[in-house]
Amino acid sequence: MTMGDTMIEVVGLAKRFGPLTALRDVHLSVPRGTVLGLLGHNGAGKSTLVNVLATLTRPSEGTARVAGFDVAAQAHQVRRRIGVAGQYATVDERMTGRRNLLLLARLLGAGRGAATAKTRLLLERFDLTAVADRPVRTYSGGTRRRLDLAASMVGDPEVVFLDEPTTGLDPVSRMTMWRLVREIAGNGATVLLTTQYLEEADTLADAIVVLSRGRVVGSGTPAQLKARVGRRTITVGLGPGADPVVALAALRRAGLDPSCDLTRRVVTVAGARPRDLTRVVRALDDAAIEPDELTMTEPGLDEVYLSLTCAPTGPVPERWPS
Amino acid sequence: MRADGPGAGAVAVVTAEALTRGRGCGVTAQVRHLTGRALRLQVLDPHLLLFSLLDPLLMLVVFSQVFAGLGHAPGFPEGVRYVDYLLPGLLVTTAIQAGLQTSSGLVEEMREGIVTRFRTLPIRMGSVLVAHSLAALVRGVLRLAVLLVLAAAVFGYRPGGGAAGALAAAGLSLTLGWSLGWIFIALACRLGRPESLQAASGLVMFPLMFASTAFTPLEGLPAWLRVAAGLNPMSHGIDAARALSLGRPAGAGALLAVVVALAVAALSGPLAARSLRRRGG
Repeated sequence: MTMGDTMIEVVGLAKRFGPLTALRDVHLSVPRGTVLGLLGHNGAGKSTLVNVLATLTRPSEGTARVAGFDVAAQAHQVRRRIGVAGQYATVDERMTGRRNLLLLARLLGAGRGAATAKTRLLLERFDLTAVADRPVRTYSGGTRRRLDLAASMVGDPEVVFLDEPTTGLDPVSRMTMWRLVREIAGNGATVLLTTQYLEEADTLADAIVVLSRGRVVGSGTPAQLKARVGRRTITVGLGPGADPVVALAALRRAGLDPSCDLTRRVVTVAGARPRDLTRVVRALDDAAIEPDELTMTEPGLDEVYLSLTCAPTGPVPERWPS
Repeated sequence: MRADGPGAGAVAVVTAEALTRGRGCGVTAQVRHLTGRALRLQVLDPHLLLFSLLDPLLMLVVFSQVFAGLGHAPGFPEGVRYVDYLLPGLLVTTAIQAGLQTSSGLVEEMREGIVTRFRTLPIRMGSVLVAHSLAALVRGVLRLAVLLVLAAAVFGYRPGGGAAGALAAAGLSLTLGWSLGWIFIALACRLGRPESLQAASGLVMFPLMFASTAFTPLEGLPAWLRVAAGLNPMSHGIDAARALSLGRPAGAGALLAVVVALAVAALSGPLAARSLRRRGG
């Protein structure tokens, strides 16, 4: 194959489980070497899509090709070229990390020597050497996830599927996973990763597809998506010495549109742009108010959803009280 | 999305690193690697090994002591002691239970997720299952060895057919156990839950075991049970194993039992592999 060919191609894909529709009319095209972030809430269909692409589930309608092969008709060819790491570590709990990797290497056709070498390499690369000879059931959550990732890389896959690789991990483990995913992508593999966190997709992905209730509701680069959303919130927390009403008035004078929660003594500015932060600081300073807390939060998945489902072509948005 | 990028420089790296990609291995090698794993996990595990070896001993004690009175039941063969009569029945049921235990191990693995990993690899699901069945066979061999040695040493088991007869009966039992074990493997793959498997296996195992000639001759059973036991393929297997161990002609019975059992295996095997492959829907 030449450079630039499409490594994942999904056309009109639907998946039904009895009366439940998990995916409907999904289209996707992922060029070689891309990291695609598949963003969505629980139940949006992310895992189902990964399962279809990883040949674990058969599509009800439409076609999906991975590395040039049809996932239904040429599943065996697909399996020779993919690596899968899941939310639930798919390794053998009772075996040691080393034995897990050795077995996979042998099953993928490596001879004894090559399998041993490959295992050692992966244990080093995924920082597992220290725990290599302990049974997996004694591993911490983060370590188990790293082994799962290593297991998915045994066959040097062209396409790697990572289903919520950091869900449930502590911040340090999450950072480690991010570094490892970047390394995998840096070595040229095409990566499809699902996540519930916009931040994670933003950090790792070249392109993002947003799934909602089994449908693709938006796609683009992280920057495009954020520009479309653009809703940051500035939060000013006031100590006992500061009067929220004075703060509210000061921010209004600065041309902002603040709202106030008197019981929590918090003033917020919704729909803010980064430069509004300077205006808030200046206005508070002029009014001689010293905030206890001053934060600007990036748009979350909810905002992305809201913005995308509010788009003119999308379905009628659901509104909820703010 | 971009069409070039890190991919451009990385192709050479991927190729240099690719020790294994795209090859996979042949079915024989798959079975070999997976059987090695299954043996390590399911046969060499000290606890599991201990219990699976104690279990036949318990059966031997219970049946030889509690049911010894059956040696005087109507239709009981003349000049045969109950322990000599009983043992072939125990050999067959013990061999079949090895398959049952292995199917529990399989369900456990399906829940742990390693089977999901296997399903994403370029290997046949049949290889995974054959590996399990071979591990069960090894376990069966160990269980029968314990049973025979204890029966001979402690309970005075001296069948008319001698050691050769006893070994032939054990061999027949293992063949039946391995083949009929595929029913439980198929159930495990189909049901995927330990509770369901246990219920379903009990439903299959109980009548196979007790509505048979394992513990008492056909004539010792009530009329309706006699009919059921006559139809039970295990009865034929047990009768044949008994004939072999007592040094009597086993003839067509042994052949029939083996053919039926192998047919069951040939039918259940592909169904099991198919269920396992399709678990995701």
